[in-house]
Amino acid sequence: MYDKHILTDEGARSIWEDGKKVGYCVNLKINYYRGLPLCCVDEIALTVDGEEVDPATMYVQHNGREYPYLEILSDDFPTDFYWLFGEKLRVVVKKDGGIEQGRHKVKVVLKTRRSYTPTMVAECEKELTFA
Amino acid sequence: MKSVTTKNYDIKLGVSLYSYQDNYYFHKHDLEGCIAAAAGSGAQGIEVFAEMMMPEWPYISDRFVDLWNGWMRRYGVEPVCFDHFSDRGMWKNKQLTDEQMVERGKLYIRTAAKLGCPIVRVLHNEHIGPGVSPYRLTDVKIVEQLLPLCAELDIMLALELHAPTTLEDPAHHQYLEMAERLGLPYVGLMADFSMYEYCASTADVGLAIRQGATPEILEFYRNSQREAYFRGEPFIYEEIADQIEKLNPNDVDRRFIAMQNRMVGQGPESYETLKQYASSLVYCHAKFYDLDEDGQVDNIDYPKVIQALKDGGYKGYLSSEFEGNRRMNDAGWVDEIEYVRRHQKLMRECLEK
Repeated sequence: MYDKHILTDEGARSIWEDGKKVGYCVNLKINYYRGLPLCCVDEIALTVDGEEVDPATMYVQHNGREYPYLEILSDDFPTDFYWLFGEKLRVVVKKDGGIEQGRHKVKVVLKTRRSYTPTMVAECEKELTFA
Repeated sequence: MKSVTTKNYDIKLGVSLYSYQDNYYFHKHDLEGCIAAAAGSGAQGIEVFAEMMMPEWPYISDRFVDLWNGWMRRYGVEPVCFDHFSDRGMWKNKQLTDEQMVERGKLYIRTAAKLGCPIVRVLHNEHIGPGVSPYRLTDVKIVEQLLPLCAELDIMLALELHAPTTLEDPAHHQYLEMAERLGLPYVGLMADFSMYEYCASTADVGLAIRQGATPEILEFYRNSQREAYFRGEPFIYEEIADQIEKLNPNDVDRRFIAMQNRMVGQGPESYETLKQYASSLVYCHAKFYDLDEDGQVDNIDYPKVIQALKDGGYKGYLSSEFEGNRRMNDAGWVDEIEYVRRHQKLMRECLEK
């Protein structure tokens, strides 16, 4: 089971534009033994320092493109954009001021559909250092 | 060392790269490294699934096929099986139609043919027994529409029979009857050795204990399963249920026991039946979770299973499918490469006996 590893400590940092922080990101790995199409993500719920992140401010970066998180949950989202097994999916939270540099407690609940059993739920909480 | 084929059997050994999932997930080995590991264990055959180790999926390029073929040649192995999945539940409120499931099925078959895999493990609707999956998977009507393409590309679909289902379950035989009716014999049965578990694996026991189960209860339960098996009797849970209750099982204990009672039940499926079916099987997953200090699989009687396959005239591959990684990696690194190496050695010994 990869539950302990779905939240990586790699690449957690603020996102900047024109010298200002406009958000922050974390990288996730899949909770399954193969890659799945992004549309098989049932939920990504983030909590940072005890506060739930508004899903409407979340974006997913995949293969050089960025999708609003809520869009990948919508019916008819393409079935051939694969979150590759072992590879990171970058989740960006748009927020003025980004995140204060240093350590933050991050919790992620990741739910994915794999068809032959009920939806898989993985939960992981870690203290990450944001750059 | 490579060739295990001798006069009295025609069984070859392979490895499902599923066995090396942690090595891949944690970037210790890439696909080529996993193929090298399989070849190094003495195996001749490779089973692979694209969604695990082929990033180009679902659009496998000719360039990748050339690379793949080069690896097969360099490591002296051959592709044996390509795994199909039935991802019908693509969206929250909407599922793939049967027509779309057929199209996806064809994609797997065409890709297998491109990669030179003669067998596609099809994830059929009843692979873990009817009524378990939340979605209707690839059922007999869908398979019917895949068979003409299989005939054209000479691909055999293998129905994976996984515990708690059995070789004799009519739910699987409906596929064979349909194929026979159509005169398209491109679907066959594949035995997953999970059908021959006679007790809980130590890998499962360890995981449950780390999740809060009571060691004494699980040990008592597992020992009771083992004693029944080695006495040659079915394991009847009701006979020990009172003793278990006296030990005050918690929720984790109860879940563990319920799962075991469902998956292992009264013990392994009949070796005699396996022998009867052996010559008609098209593929086997030599499943295992843990090995004991003697190099035996700790909860499947490999010497008996392999003897039944030999006696029944099975012709084909036995592919190591190590599933201990998922059960033990919460406690630390699991040395998949070493597990597979020892498992291949065990299978060679069983074959040569």
